[in-house]
Amino acid sequence: MNMDQEKLSGMIIDYIDGKLNEADKQLIEQELVKNAEAYKLYEQLKELIQVMDQSKKIEPSEKLKQKFDAFLQAEIDLEQKSKTVFFTPAWYRAAAAVALLVVGGGVGYWISQQNQQHAELLALQKEMKETRRLVLAQMNNDQSASQRMLGVMAAYESVQTDRPDDEIVDALVTTMNTDGNSNVRLAAIEALSKFTEEEKVRKALVQSLSAQKDPVVQIALIQLLVQMKEKEAVKSFERIIDDEQSLPAVKDEAHAGIFKLS
Amino acid sequence: MSDETLMEAVKNGNLQQASVLFDRYNKRIFNFLARMTMDRDLAEDLTQNVFLRIIKYRGSYREGMRFQSWIYQVARNVFSDHYQVAKNKTSGFVDVEKMSESIMDSYESQEQDEREKLLHKSLAMLNDEQRELLVLTRFQQMKYEEVATIMDTSVANIKVKVHRAIQKLREHYFQLERI
Repeated sequence: MNMDQEKLSGMIIDYIDGKLNEADKQLIEQELVKNAEAYKLYEQLKELIQVMDQSKKIEPSEKLKQKFDAFLQAEIDLEQKSKTVFFTPAWYRAAAAVALLVVGGGVGYWISQQNQQHAELLALQKEMKETRRLVLAQMNNDQSASQRMLGVMAAYESVQTDRPDDEIVDALVTTMNTDGNSNVRLAAIEALSKFTEEEKVRKALVQSLSAQKDPVVQIALIQLLVQMKEKEAVKSFERIIDDEQSLPAVKDEAHAGIFKLS
Repeated sequence: MSDETLMEAVKNGNLQQASVLFDRYNKRIFNFLARMTMDRDLAEDLTQNVFLRIIKYRGSYREGMRFQSWIYQVARNVFSDHYQVAKNKTSGFVDVEKMSESIMDSYESQEQDEREKLLHKSLAMLNDEQRELLVLTRFQQMKYEEVATIMDTSVANIKVKVHRAIQKLREHYFQLERI
């Protein structure tokens, strides 16, 4: 019998696994008797297959189950929350009545106060406009990254947390997404972290994650989003994990983020 | 209840059933990933990721699809995603000596212990595809048909490749034994 090595070892493996038909089985048994090389091959393959078959299962730690349970529970809660109707009809009517009273009172109060405050407001607005102009001009300085950095820092100082200025927030978002310098982008992210209560800012931060390519900026953003407990970010984290271009450190941060958020 | 019925239920919003699937599959998926990564901690993280994806992307489970094939496909994706960026062949970076100790529990017999170590070292010398084929067919005792479905190829092709992988493993194993 003339058999090449590959075919022979293939048949011996099937023989050991008991997968040969009667004719092939006899063929191999004859070969093993008359061919010392084939017999050696058989002995080696038999040992190897035995070691593989007897190889013990590895046990995962307790943590695996705990983490999974926590994640599943969070996912179930999330699912239920989206289904829950917040107001039963009676509650709904009562709440609507209260809301109407509050709004009515508020509007009355607002009208009486408005005239008085008008003058003060004008002065304040003028001052804010001036600051804003300076800050925005500085952020747009395309000559110097350090000037832009100063602009971002000034924006950070000038805006009050409870009343973010739309135009400045927009400028910070633009800087975060498009500035060529990673440090300026990082500073913009830090400045924006002051307004994480704002839906618009939260959205912009989540969206920005897919635009960022610098790992340092990506990691800073991931950490901020986790700190904000922004569930919406999970999808962006998954995209980072799926993205071939992402560095392992960034992926790890994203993995950690998913676990912390879930 | 079959895996498929459970997964259908999960897909239709009965998320609690996912914990039954977790109980049925977590050890197998963990073993698969532990043998592929040769790193226990990493394998646990990746296993967690597999189940996370199963739940998050439950909508993409197609009716009539074998659940086992699907979850292994997800596990393969999670594994390859992890290594794709650095494009590193795992084997090139694995400290085999350390890996063998970390991945294995103690064995009753010294001899089996030695053989196991040798086996892990030889496995680490295979390429990812060959190692994967052996992990699935020998360590996880999966049928060639099943592996062919998971890898989207023919049974004949899998059989030839498994035989070659065993042959390659044999060469490494007995070469190392002589050292």
